[in-house]
Amino acid sequence: MEALETFVVESPVPEEGDAYKSIVADIITELVLGGAIGRIKVVVRPEESLYQMAIILRGSQPTVKVSDIGSVEAGNLAKKEVKISLTEEKYLPELLELLWARYGRAKVFQPERRTLIMNAEDTSAEIEFLKDMVVADPRRTLQSRLVEMAIRATPEGFRVRYHSMDKHKFVFVASEDALKPEWIQEANQMITELAEEK
Amino acid sequence: MAAILEPYIYEGGVHKHSLITELLEDLGGYLIQKVPAATEVTLVMLIPRGDVHLIEELGTKLLGKLTRAPLTGTEIAVVSPTLASHHLPHSACDVAEYLRRGGANTNMLGLARGMGRRVSLSDNYERKLINEHDLAVFSFGTFSDCIKNKKPKLLEGVIVPKIVTGGPRDLKTEDIANADMYVGGIGRVAHRLRKSGELDSLDGMNEKVIEVVEKMREDLAKDPLAVLPARVMKEIHEQIPEIFNVLSPAPVTLQLDGLRVKLPYEQFHEKVEKLEFDEGVRLSDMAAITLSKMKNYILVKIKRESEVGFTA
Repeated sequence: MEALETFVVESPVPEEGDAYKSIVADIITELVLGGAIGRIKVVVRPEESLYQMAIILRGSQPTVKVSDIGSVEAGNLAKKEVKISLTEEKYLPELLELLWARYGRAKVFQPERRTLIMNAEDTSAEIEFLKDMVVADPRRTLQSRLVEMAIRATPEGFRVRYHSMDKHKFVFVASEDALKPEWIQEANQMITELAEEK
Repeated sequence: MAAILEPYIYEGGVHKHSLITELLEDLGGYLIQKVPAATEVTLVMLIPRGDVHLIEELGTKLLGKLTRAPLTGTEIAVVSPTLASHHLPHSACDVAEYLRRGGANTNMLGLARGMGRRVSLSDNYERKLINEHDLAVFSFGTFSDCIKNKKPKLLEGVIVPKIVTGGPRDLKTEDIANADMYVGGIGRVAHRLRKSGELDSLDGMNEKVIEVVEKMREDLAKDPLAVLPARVMKEIHEQIPEIFNVLSPAPVTLQLDGLRVKLPYEQFHEKVEKLEFDEGVRLSDMAAITLSKMKNYILVKIKRESEVGFTA
């Protein structure tokens, strides 16, 4: 899959647009958004203190459940233990947060890096619950990363912002002065054109 | 009048480097800064012009390298419009590092309200702090419209020479009100400057800064200082031993027309004022000693010969 189908940065002075493109590209790399963004168009007009950005996202990844990153099974039956054996450590911090909230920090045992042991009254019901527990939602982190990207890419001081996120379409407008309705309209126009592009 | 001193940087091994410092002392030169790093050492020094070859010969024998560093003895403020990730650390820090390679001592300064176009401001305190330096390098962004029409107000009130760096290469110094020099090709970037074109721009910037510094030195030579800043530094080292307890990399920072002593003002300003010279004069006769805007350091600005009436 191609990294970015469309990547345009426009500015009244073409060389400045190119320079800004390198900034936006660096920020996309830094926030690892290359795989998530399909098409992006940025328009910067410094004379008007205006920054517009339209992004079309690729279909995002599904949520991550405990069963996706490891197995949940019964441990020591006499002690009514539930054991999680992880195959992927990447989401361990998020998982620990959730388990600590559910059982209490002192009641989650981690005898080894990839093994977590808890006690439960009804072990089988607990196992079923844990299997389906959502550990991470890439869509939510994606959204926060997109916002972070928008803030980093905007010239600093453009503190008046507008953004809208509709499924795969992200529109962002920022300025230093009050936003004009036609700027937002223009940005919405941009996203429509971007979506229709072949 | 003392011999003309030339600024040089020596880079070599720690082993036997004291031979260099001893020779330098014998020749009447000054060691301005010594930066040891593991087995390497960097010596920033002023060497009498006629004796440079002696140090060079000894340096070669010790497998070190002696390079001319025209910015030695200058303190430069690198000003970024804000401390946010938009302006720092890239470009501004690279600018500062390149200036240090030229021998300068740099201070990074982020303005509190320098962001934006219409709303950007600088504070009186910030301007005073910048004015304590020999010159200021302002690191601006990508858009020529901002650099030409909006950002120059940050330069207002700064009386030291102002060098502006920015992205556009076709801008001229005259286009930017209040600027003394414009250097293009160093705009806002979100990565370290390491491509050849970017490094060329930094080299070009160093050349232009050196040009400005040389001009300032010429102006100084027309009406020389009552005493060399390097000599004051040597006297501080000899008469105020507490300076060796200061952990800052440059406890005494030289400027073209003075120095910054990184000791608390309240405790030490009298000692600095009473600094004695062989000629029987005190530092307070030849310099203005004030509280610096930077922390509570001591700022010494040396007066000109025409004002004092003699040179030490």
